[in-house]
Amino acid sequence: MPAITVAPDPFTLVPYDASTIAQLTAEAAALVGFPDDVAVTLEVDEVLPHPLTGTFVAVGPEGLDIWMSGANFEDPKRPLKFQPELALSELVRALLRAADRLRPEFSGAPTDEDLTDRQRAAWDVWTEGRAHRLGVPATRPDRLLYHYRLHHGFNDVADEVFRRLWDADALTWPEIDEACAETDAADTRERPKKTALRKEQLRAPRPSA
Amino acid sequence: MRKIFPPNELARDERFVRTKIEDRVFDPRNAAMMERDLGSAKLEPSRPAAADRARSLMHGIFVGEIQALEGAGRTCFDFDEDDAPFALKLDMARQCWDESRHVEISVKLGEWMGSEIGEFTESTFLYEAACADDPVLRLCGVNRALEGLAIDVFNAMKEFGDVAGDPVLEFCEDWMLADEVTHVKMGSDWLRRLTEKDPERRNRALEFQRTVDKIFSLGGFRGESDENPVHLARKFRRMAGFDEAEMDDLVEISKQAQADAEAMAAAAAEGGGAYGA
Repeated sequence: MPAITVAPDPFTLVPYDASTIAQLTAEAAALVGFPDDVAVTLEVDEVLPHPLTGTFVAVGPEGLDIWMSGANFEDPKRPLKFQPELALSELVRALLRAADRLRPEFSGAPTDEDLTDRQRAAWDVWTEGRAHRLGVPATRPDRLLYHYRLHHGFNDVADEVFRRLWDADALTWPEIDEACAETDAADTRERPKKTALRKEQLRAPRPSA
Repeated sequence: MRKIFPPNELARDERFVRTKIEDRVFDPRNAAMMERDLGSAKLEPSRPAAADRARSLMHGIFVGEIQALEGAGRTCFDFDEDDAPFALKLDMARQCWDESRHVEISVKLGEWMGSEIGEFTESTFLYEAACADDPVLRLCGVNRALEGLAIDVFNAMKEFGDVAGDPVLEFCEDWMLADEVTHVKMGSDWLRRLTEKDPERRNRALEFQRTVDKIFSLGGFRGESDENPVHLARKFRRMAGFDEAEMDDLVEISKQAQADAEAMAAAAAEGGGAYGA
């Protein structure tokens, strides 16, 4: 089992428990087969409520850093309530993507902060498909499909690529990037003028604060 | 059969979970959230968690449609013809038919977006506004304030569908939006007719509408700045009988609601964190 550190400890704004989250992280690591010799540091941003979800992973010499919105663990029906099943599935997704980053086939992948929305959505589909096959609860293709279509387009080409990504057992970063190029070529929509917020922006204080 | 049916006895199965507006207003995270620079809050496909935010709003529309159906149905039954003329009841009956279709459309749209009935909470404030004992207050609180909000929300979702290239969402919202304009216009017309010779009753009804508008601005949910997820749909409100002064007033009410929510969050934060240390 990898060394796992969860912050904050204790939580002050939401009734989450750091040791419970560490246990779930260990369970997720075992499910994914995440290497024991890579230390995991998980920072949960307890300020962000549902539905402001978000996950970013970064692998460096010190180990794996995961940043996750507290909303990722929150029961959508009960504000502030920690939902263990949801938390486990979110942690599995984060660790699957982190494990990909440890492989040489992903050495060319941009950092999570630098992925385009299209690239991130495609990678998320492959991740979710694998989590589904691992028997992880709360994985639903119909749910992810809408998120994916927002970034890849509402057309047959995008849907076919979705099925391929979902079913894939092994992929490389260039293959994910090629899938994105395929949907990009079929996407006739106007490109958004703004890009999505990233972790650092989600955490940034207001200028007047 | 009893009249003025209480909100806590509305028929719901085990999928539905109720929440109160106060739960959101007094969320201990609010003060810290307000210190973040999250940029535009407008609902757009390129914003963070856009799919979840759209699904959550879609579910809010769905439960709102159920309550609008229940409210219009009660208005047909709760009053005799001295208080509510037959033609008004006929309009409410037509609205029931519209809302029934909207419920079915909303369920299917939710499925299309990867959601399901009961995924998010339900607040029954819309129905509560439909429990007033004066039909004119109901018309102002529900048809003008809340169906007016529905115009803003449907327009926001329609634009979201348009920008995202989602034809199903865009067209469905457009069709429902057309009905909402009719519902608001019914409210505007009946307010004028029923209070033609009773300015005091009209003022009371408009004050009730202002109260409902303020509560449903939900601390900045609706307005005209980048910080408001849903913007005032002035063109459609004009078609529904709102004049410019009323819409300007509504923007002010929304700003007040946002300022009040920030003050409440700051006051709550002074007491320290809610959990742990």
